[in-house]
Amino acid sequence: MKKYPSVRRLPKFDYVAPQTLKEAVDFLSKHQKAAAPLAGGTDLLLNMKRRAVVPQYLVALKNIPEVDAITYKKDQGLRIGALATIHAVETSPEVKRGYPILSQAAATLGSIQIRNLGTVVGNVCSALPSADMVPSLVALGAQVKIINRAEEKLMPVEDFITNVGKTVLAEDELVQELLVPPLPSRGGGTYIKYAQRGAKALGICNVATWIALDQDTCTEARICLGAVGQTPIRAVEAESILKGNPFTPETVKAAAQKASEEARPRSSPLRGSAEYRKTTVGALTERALLSSRAQIE
Amino acid sequence: MQDHDYRVVGKPVPRIDGRVKVTGTATFADDLFMPRMLHGKLLRSPYAHAKIKHIDTSKAEKLPGVRAVITGKDFPGIVVGFMKQYADRPPIAFDKVRHYGETVAAVAAEDEDTAEDALDLIEVTYEELPPVLNWEEALKEGAPLVHEHAKNNIGTTCKFEYGDVDEAFKTCDYVLEKKLATQRVAIGFIEPHAALAKVDGSGRILFQGSKQSPYITWRHLAWGLGLPLDKIRIVNPYIGGAFSGKHEALDLDFCAVRLAQKTKRPVKIVVNQEDIIGTYRQRHEKHVWLKAGIKKDGTLVAMDCKYISDGGAYLSVAALNLYLFGLFNALPFRVPNVRYDATRVYTNLPVCGAVRGQSQVIAGYVFNAMIDMLAKDLGMDPLEVMRKNIVKQGETLPSGSKISSTGLEKAIDKVVDVIGWKEKQAKKVPNRGIGFACGAQISGCRMGGHFASSAVVKIGEDGTVQLIHGGTELGQGCDTVFAQMTAEVLGVNFEDVQIEMEDSHDGVLDSGMFGDRCTTWSGNAVIAAAEDAKRKLAEVAADMLEAKAEDLVFRDRKIYAKDTPEQSISFLRAVRNAYYGVGKSLYGSGSWSFPGAEIADFSQGYCEKFTPSFSFVAQAVEVEVDPETGKVTLLNSVAADDCGRPINPLLVEGQMDGGSAHMIGQALYEISLYNKKGVPLTGSMRTYKIPTALDVPKLRNHHVLVHDPLGPFGAKGAGETCTTAIMAAIRNAIEDAVGVRLVEPPFTPEKVFEALRAKKEGKK
Repeated sequence: MKKYPSVRRLPKFDYVAPQTLKEAVDFLSKHQKAAAPLAGGTDLLLNMKRRAVVPQYLVALKNIPEVDAITYKKDQGLRIGALATIHAVETSPEVKRGYPILSQAAATLGSIQIRNLGTVVGNVCSALPSADMVPSLVALGAQVKIINRAEEKLMPVEDFITNVGKTVLAEDELVQELLVPPLPSRGGGTYIKYAQRGAKALGICNVATWIALDQDTCTEARICLGAVGQTPIRAVEAESILKGNPFTPETVKAAAQKASEEARPRSSPLRGSAEYRKTTVGALTERALLSSRAQIE
Repeated sequence: MQDHDYRVVGKPVPRIDGRVKVTGTATFADDLFMPRMLHGKLLRSPYAHAKIKHIDTSKAEKLPGVRAVITGKDFPGIVVGFMKQYADRPPIAFDKVRHYGETVAAVAAEDEDTAEDALDLIEVTYEELPPVLNWEEALKEGAPLVHEHAKNNIGTTCKFEYGDVDEAFKTCDYVLEKKLATQRVAIGFIEPHAALAKVDGSGRILFQGSKQSPYITWRHLAWGLGLPLDKIRIVNPYIGGAFSGKHEALDLDFCAVRLAQKTKRPVKIVVNQEDIIGTYRQRHEKHVWLKAGIKKDGTLVAMDCKYISDGGAYLSVAALNLYLFGLFNALPFRVPNVRYDATRVYTNLPVCGAVRGQSQVIAGYVFNAMIDMLAKDLGMDPLEVMRKNIVKQGETLPSGSKISSTGLEKAIDKVVDVIGWKEKQAKKVPNRGIGFACGAQISGCRMGGHFASSAVVKIGEDGTVQLIHGGTELGQGCDTVFAQMTAEVLGVNFEDVQIEMEDSHDGVLDSGMFGDRCTTWSGNAVIAAAEDAKRKLAEVAADMLEAKAEDLVFRDRKIYAKDTPEQSISFLRAVRNAYYGVGKSLYGSGSWSFPGAEIADFSQGYCEKFTPSFSFVAQAVEVEVDPETGKVTLLNSVAADDCGRPINPLLVEGQMDGGSAHMIGQALYEISLYNKKGVPLTGSMRTYKIPTALDVPKLRNHHVLVHDPLGPFGAKGAGETCTTAIMAAIRNAIEDAVGVRLVEPPFTPEKVFEALRAKKEGKK
């Protein structure tokens, strides 16, 4: 019989807090499905209360040194450790200086309480279509660094997320950090979260754009749409309208129109009809591109 | 007393419970803990409509730590409701479930985890029935019946007529017919439902819950449990908001008591917000077919109002809801000829009852929207049509009530001025618009049975004053207001007055906290009690001062004869003399009821002595609409209220801010949605979009000072009045901004966008 689905108290579990990444990965490898890594817990604990997942072990990462670091090196770019909170990214001077789009995206996520607990890596690993950090990370060409007992590997964020709530991460693997590459000087990016309410909101659609210019020619354009498909969507056709061409109001409009076509939203009583959401993707992509342009020079 | 003489009344003193609340030391129901206390959990129906064939509790009972399991059979034959004639609800489902989430069984166990585990072991055999999930389906011939006794799923109806509507329409220059609808919304108090019950060896029950009107709960519990009133004592802890969602005794209240009786141990039950938002009390979905007629000069003449309200599985206060909508649907405007025909329909959805502002919120929306549309169609300024038709002081409404005082005209002037209507109208910015609306609310009424208020004032030997009143402090601030009134009467400082929370044993009778009645009714009772205590002290002081008791003035902790203020004695000295010297206790009691108050007769649309006064509000809202997405941004809101004399302007402004924010939610964001099986789609704070601080614009509040003859210090109600105008003001502003005529909130970006598109296509 179907039970009344309600938020329950947390199920019983054992809590382990390894001191090193190696210990953590060893533990995950040993217990596989029975263990779940715990970062901020804002998604995991709620899923446990709903009995969507009932892990026997929670593997807290918080005793591992440096795992919450946010570091920037000119030649390597930005690194966001697995436990760096969304609030830390939102307020980090390095992020604000070099990657303001990330700080801007972080500020739209949930509420201040959620941002204080939740982590950027957690937001990526939860792989929800509406994840606020993901479109900007994809637009910036960010990669995830995955570790397991045997190896470390890098993978673009957009390839890492495969479906609603699904990633390529195996049960014995962890995301150690996110790597955001160094950016050319004449670049600009914008994230627009479009929702009915100002906080704790479900996006009707979300758009991140990042462009680089040489004179007036667009040398790089990355557009990522959130909440309008099963995964965040790279609007590659829209990008190709811009890339290599002069950045003009006409090309921006054409790219925005194309992005609207590339969105694949479903009709939802909570977020609006598919048609409406596609239309707003167009309007917001245009705004995001123009705002990205305005940041250059 | 002259205005400027008041020492405490009319002053923005900080809340009496402020320190306790901000330091986190106020005790709410879930903070309570008793020795040997058990934890209760409720098992809820996964179906919107089903017969309960069998419930097997044996496995749950055997789980270690479980102390009792109860089902509907533990409340045999019991049916409760808002009034006896509207009783239709078993304390928990008995042989049938009528909405998703309805409680079918309850468990008490040593800890919460065990109680939850036990719920999984209760085996309920259901026979699923087809649910009816909206009023249209429910009214169809042959539709499944929510209640076997209610043919066509009609729960209750209300009909009446004032004047001669058909004749009046013939005299109109313009008649507009429009169907408007407002959505079902959740209530959204911050403290969840909670109940703690203890039964002593004599069978006497101590009940402590999060209840809005403990006396209503008290009577319901006694009725539902078949106990005399004196077997139940209710003590209210601090309450974290209620907005009319916590009057009735609910499933958890009955279950906590029954489980406590069964286990002979205290039982606490707390419901989580995710269950509350989707499955507890809500505001009715209302469909209004309105026909209104107007003269060329803007005079409103006639109105025909058909009204269907979709209210879910049980009636709750639906009869009152329909009645009030009929009585005051044009208020604060004058419409001499009105025909009203209302039906409340049962559906297999959670129960709709009262929510802050009751019917007046929706009536205010519907009628202000209608006036705005009528005026725009005639090319008139909506504001002028509103101004022309507002009720005036001394006027008698078609439904019989007299307007004892009103400052609405001044309130309109104020908001027009502050929002900058004239300047902004002259220099119109594209996609920006301003909307106006006027609202009103009764200051309580008598619905039947007991409706007076009472209070006790005890002056302590240390010169402090203990006030016991029957209103309920829910966060709205009545404790502060009553302490101010008491201090003013006794001439002591505000800090000298203390109040404890409600207790049906030590306390005094009251009917509860609703319909903007508390300030007027309980406030007048408080004044009467303070005057009574003052009289007793005056007799003692008169001897000490060698003056006449009736000549004494109590002021600034001093007592003196009015002609010789220099020869005063301290309040404390007089009090000590009363207790230590004379041997006299200084207890005062008082009560108040609206003189001549008639019991509301729901079959009659006429009642002269219905409410002591009406309070009013005018509101102006400025919006900006994004034409590319349809999103509405609120730029400004200005409200001016007439709540008589604000006893505490700070608290009234808090109410006004809260009232605006509350209804911004219903205007722009909130809607309770259910899927095809009646399962909530908006059952969490994430999906149910109550506005956040970021969604509320700068709210500017003003007061129009009016002295109401029956009001305590001239005051009237405030907390509901301030919710009655803003929803229409937002709608009217959207039409002013972009010329689209929306009538069904919430005005979501998509609705606005579609209307803009339709407008564009219509022009092509």
